[in-house]
Amino acid sequence: MFNKVLSGTLHGVEGRLIVVEADVSEGLPTFNMVGFLASEVREASDRVRTALNNSGYHFSPKRITINLSPADIRKEGASFDLPISIALLASYGLIPTESIEGILFIGELSLNGDLKPVRGVLSIVDLARSCGVKKVILPYDNRFEGAIIPGIEVYGAASLKEVVEHLLDIKVIEKTDAKKSYEGKEKSYAIDFSQVKGQRSMKRATEIAVAGRHNILFMGPPGSGKSMIAKRVPTIMPELSYEESIELTKIYSAKGMLKSEEGLISTRPFRSPHHSITAHSLIGGGKVPSPGEISLAHNGVLFLDELLEFQKNTIEMLRQPTEEGKVTISRINGSYSFPCDFMLVAAMNPCPCGYYPDRAKCYCTPSQIKRYMNKLSQPMLDRMDICIHVKRIPYDELYSDSVEETSAVIKERICKAMVIQRERLNVFGISYNSEIPSQILDDVCKLSKKELSVRRDLFEKYNLTARGASKIMKVARTIADLDGSDVVCEKHLYEALSYRMIDLYNGGQNL
Amino acid sequence: MMKEEHFWYWINNIEGFGRKNIRKMLSIYESPENIYNLDYKEIKDFFNNNNTRIDTNQFIESKNEKDIICSYDRLKDKKVSFIYPAQDSYPEKLLCIDDSPTGLYLKGSLPKEEQKSVAIIGARSCTHYGREMARFYGRELAKCGVAVISGLARGIDGMAHRGTLEADGYTLGVLGCGIDVVYPEENYELFMRMEQCGGIISESNLGIIPNAGLFPQRNRIISAMADGILVVEAKKKSGTLITVDFGLEQGKDIFALPGRTIDNNSVGCNNLIKYGANIVTDVSDILDILFCKTSVDDDKRDIMNGCISEIKNKLAPSEKMVYSVLSVEPKYIDDIIYETKLSPGEVCMYINSMVVSGIVSEPVRNYYSIKI
Repeated sequence: MFNKVLSGTLHGVEGRLIVVEADVSEGLPTFNMVGFLASEVREASDRVRTALNNSGYHFSPKRITINLSPADIRKEGASFDLPISIALLASYGLIPTESIEGILFIGELSLNGDLKPVRGVLSIVDLARSCGVKKVILPYDNRFEGAIIPGIEVYGAASLKEVVEHLLDIKVIEKTDAKKSYEGKEKSYAIDFSQVKGQRSMKRATEIAVAGRHNILFMGPPGSGKSMIAKRVPTIMPELSYEESIELTKIYSAKGMLKSEEGLISTRPFRSPHHSITAHSLIGGGKVPSPGEISLAHNGVLFLDELLEFQKNTIEMLRQPTEEGKVTISRINGSYSFPCDFMLVAAMNPCPCGYYPDRAKCYCTPSQIKRYMNKLSQPMLDRMDICIHVKRIPYDELYSDSVEETSAVIKERICKAMVIQRERLNVFGISYNSEIPSQILDDVCKLSKKELSVRRDLFEKYNLTARGASKIMKVARTIADLDGSDVVCEKHLYEALSYRMIDLYNGGQNL
Repeated sequence: MMKEEHFWYWINNIEGFGRKNIRKMLSIYESPENIYNLDYKEIKDFFNNNNTRIDTNQFIESKNEKDIICSYDRLKDKKVSFIYPAQDSYPEKLLCIDDSPTGLYLKGSLPKEEQKSVAIIGARSCTHYGREMARFYGRELAKCGVAVISGLARGIDGMAHRGTLEADGYTLGVLGCGIDVVYPEENYELFMRMEQCGGIISESNLGIIPNAGLFPQRNRIISAMADGILVVEAKKKSGTLITVDFGLEQGKDIFALPGRTIDNNSVGCNNLIKYGANIVTDVSDILDILFCKTSVDDDKRDIMNGCISEIKNKLAPSEKMVYSVLSVEPKYIDDIIYETKLSPGEVCMYINSMVVSGIVSEPVRNYYSIKI
């Protein structure tokens, strides 16, 4: 007897609908599985048979054929165990065919019949909803993740037996409460900007960077608070919108990094990969591409500590994704696209020993410093708008009673500036000052006569390149937005100058 | 046809044949032309009598007229002139020292004989204070018509030259390597400017790369060309002190800038003062001795503070507030923010406008110091 059951699989971070067909007929007893299967899917036959037996469902030996269609998509993962078992049970007549119609099943079986969580549930459920499926049965640990999607009923089952009893109306599983997935979730972070003492200019630069979504580079000695501030960048970014949360959660779900009790991710991610990271784990990749660190930092912060210690080719790989906000990885069986719209925060030491310009500690020669700086990739520097030199904080400031600004206060200012930017830039199809293309820069940052002459002075005094000058303009625009000023004034230009990129020619020094 | 300059050029460029030998031969045969015309036997006898280690054949082989003229003409292409002791333009100051150079390569011009000159020297790895002082003294001495001589090295030397050029004064750089070799490379722009507004001399022919052994020798030329030697910063055992030793042998006035006793970079200077060098706290201290006069009342002597208060008076009140917390030592922007109690935005604005107008410098990113 033939029966089919709906299921789904992952393709990149998006779901694909899969139909699991089972046929039980007379003949020599075999268990055949077809449909472009990876070996872990093929192994399902043993898991399914044993799990069914151990759950108390025994079949007579017959010729069993399982087909997963469409046959042109390669099927990976163990999430087909549950749909295969259900299709089999239906084919043996143990479950009425009507009861499984219009229900999507996902889940991995353990030999005793327990259901184990799988990856990519959110994407599959999202797809199921858009295909008109009304009900989904999935592993208990995945229930909150699945319930994020509105307009579809989600049932979390702990074992195969529970699923069968639910379908037979013997013991109905309770529908997962969708509200638990995102309501009442903590939207706050455990860390706050007020925990950072002093470092006012670094904080100010960070605020500007976040407000205009400029990538930022911190240069300073060890222990000056570079990582501490970088970690707190997500706390001053605007709250995630529902769509952004969904996008982000899909990536974590596809990567299998969602905790079982966690539904929608509501805080912005902060990813700080170690500098030994390979190009593929940073960008995403593998035989079947899975998202890399840049995608895990989507809508959040990618922090590259010790920028110079990263392999040069790894850093170069970031060039395209930082500009496009997504990365496309092509493999022989298709190309996969992962979103990666992140803010880049990088940190490095100013010289090999790390203490320059503190000459009491640093004996690095100018040529040593220059050689060290030359490890920086110029194309990467071109993608950074703000650079700030930091110093270790003196004792007096570190242990002072001064009350520092909280993240909430800073965030409010940033949100205001972002609204202003969006209003201005919407017509051009962009939302942040950092994205302003050079051809419209002069229209967006109107300068009066006085400011024009200031710009000329800066250009000549600092030997700026066209790129360097346009970065200063963009940063000045953001400073003006934070200031609530419609035009870019002299003071905004001068302040932006403090955050200009280091000049590799001099090894970061001025003569 | 070989001329006098070709003979001098030849004798200065024989491998293994140094100044000592050249002088010895000249004392007997009087001119390089006579030496050139000696036959094999005469040369061999001379070398044997004087225990000269050079191979006679090698010496004879170097007498290749075509090569010599060709090599000499190459100097002209590079706008380098060759100066030898028999010439009128050869600096008199160099003639009267021990081990005086037997040939010099020059780009630009030499200082006028009657112009007073001071060598400003110091460590290559110096503090920002040292750099600023070198520039200040270079500039102020140039304003008083004094030529500034130094070694075109990193640190103090380069800054002294830069200061002099700021005041459009004459400055001479003495190199320890070939005159077409720009070392250190960050001074490239300075080399170009000095060729036009000053001079660069070297004892080494084109293409000779820097070598630790050559630097002490060029120091004797620095001290010889100067009437006084100002040491800005020197560690306890600094190469700068070699120049001072040469200067003392040559009977020059030694000046030293005092520093804090705990500063490694000032130990050398303070020691010099202890041993009797002239202490310098103002430009007039140098000028007095150089021109053998005592200058006017003490109030007018303080040029440095005069410069600073002049700048201060021109500033707007808020700029003055930022300016007054600055010193010659570079100060980090957060410290300025902390001391002035202004917001980071305001401090950035005031300080950068002062940097652009040239009264404050930013030696390292986000560190600021006053210019004097």
